[in-house]
Amino acid sequence: MPYDKPIPDPSPHTRPFWDGARAGKLMLPRCTNCNRVHWYPRLICPYCHAREIEWIEGSGGGRIHTFAVQHRAFGGWATETPFVTAYIDLNEGDRMLTVLRGVDPTKPETIQIGAKVRVEFEPASEDVHIPFWRLA
Amino acid sequence: MPGELSRAAAIVGATEANEIGYPETPKTSLQLHIEAIKNVSDQTGIPISRIDGIFSAGWSSELAEHLGLHPRYIDTTAVGGCSFEMHVHHALAAIHAGIIDVALISHGEAGWSARANKGRGTGGFRGSGDPWSPGAQFSSAYGLSGAPSNYAHAMTRHNYRYGTTPTDFAHIAVVTRQWAMLNPRAIMFSPESNPGGGPISVEDVQKARLIAWPLTLLHCCLVTDYGGAVLVANPEIARSVRTKPVWIAGAGESMSHSNMLEMEDFTATSAAASSATAYKMAGMGPEEMEMAMIYDSFTVTAGITAEMLGLAPRGEGFRLWQNGDAAPGGRLPINTNGGGLSFNHSGMYGMQLLVEAYRQLTGTAEDGVNGLTGKQTSARSCVVNGTGGSLSTTGTLVLVAD
Ligand SMILES: [Zn+2]
Repeated sequence: MPYDKPIPDPSPHTRPFWDGARAGKLMLPRCTNCNRVHWYPRLICPYCHAREIEWIEGSGGGRIHTFAVQHRAFGGWATETPFVTAYIDLNEGDRMLTVLRGVDPTKPETIQIGAKVRVEFEPASEDVHIPFWRLA
Repeated sequence: MPGELSRAAAIVGATEANEIGYPETPKTSLQLHIEAIKNVSDQTGIPISRIDGIFSAGWSSELAEHLGLHPRYIDTTAVGGCSFEMHVHHALAAIHAGIIDVALISHGEAGWSARANKGRGTGGFRGSGDPWSPGAQFSSAYGLSGAPSNYAHAMTRHNYRYGTTPTDFAHIAVVTRQWAMLNPRAIMFSPESNPGGGPISVEDVQKARLIAWPLTLLHCCLVTDYGGAVLVANPEIARSVRTKPVWIAGAGESMSHSNMLEMEDFTATSAAASSATAYKMAGMGPEEMEMAMIYDSFTVTAGITAEMLGLAPRGEGFRLWQNGDAAPGGRLPINTNGGGLSFNHSGMYGMQLLVEAYRQLTGTAEDGVNGLTGKQTSARSCVVNGTGGSLSTTGTLVLVAD
């Protein structure tokens, strides 16, 4: 079945991320001036305002910062409810949003903030592979 | 000591559209604006032609044209539900600077009628439809479906960090409903006004349908129509009109992020910063506030904001409702109109906060049309806080009675 949920439309400056995703790599933007990783990809470092930003391959690991269970959704996600959304603290710093896999949405009390998670990529189209995180 | 801008202007009138809530005949946002604007002009006796500054969330040039005005100051700040508190802040500065004398702040939003109108004539906050925006690229893939799906993450983190529970926050919904039962304009006034109206218990809140765990339906605000308008004027005009002034003692605004991806602390908002600015300008502190109007898009919004405004220690905001302080007859009445949870919430709720604060501080909360006995409080000061976006932007006002 073709992927029936919203597919991001890569912009020129986020292209390295999506190229990495297609190769199964979590590419992250890092400022060469202050060495901090930020997310989402910026045109300028949000910490020191330098514009020299490089892309590094992240470890693909992180921890759950917080989460919720979605019981109402639209489009392709409507048939997947309930599902767990979570904000992930990346090992490299800063935070990503995801739909969390490997957890039971009917038992939110069993999901632990701080638990380790790993990234994986789902091919949504030939060009765009979407990162999702799974309980490690 | 109060700052230079403190009391440099006053709110001299605040009214609603003729019909709010779930109108039988669908309305447009423009209709809701115009009804409220006409009403505030009639209330104050200030002719619409005297308005020389116009403030709204995205509508200012359209409104000015519709009214045949050529204003000297045009502000259309649209950063979500707190925009209207910011408009008051901006109007205060513009009046103090001598640029304008009378500022109109207007709001119209057919949040309910949008369904019947198939999106036409609904306006309001115009979010980014750009597929290359950060939100579109890095959030839209994950099935979030509007405010509740986002705000739920804040409740989970608050529960984790402070050992609170969703049941603790349910008290906010229960007490806010008690206020709605004193306001016939409230959607949830009674079982006759709405099948879900009348009293609710903590158990009712927790047993309601899950929207985004841990938020059930009764932790979430309504979606209704609303129109409201406020006039802000210089002290000379404020002293001469037939309505009572409510002085803008303090005002402040701030933001922590736009996308929730960038929310550093899910248990805190920029209301701490915007209220610090407002309290400093007023020369007053949270302990001097006799009531509060706090944006309650969700129970968690109100609970966290009470903490940010210094009305309760961190992690304990919900206790104001749980122990009855915020309830009718309590020490610190909060959301005396019945809130976004049980009165009315059109998508952006900041105007509803202003209208109710004005009524309370002018002693007109029980004007025979809009209130029942018991709704009018004795408060002489009120802290008003709006939140916009995904706990993103905030505007705080310290308002005092004449
Ligand atoms: Zn940097």
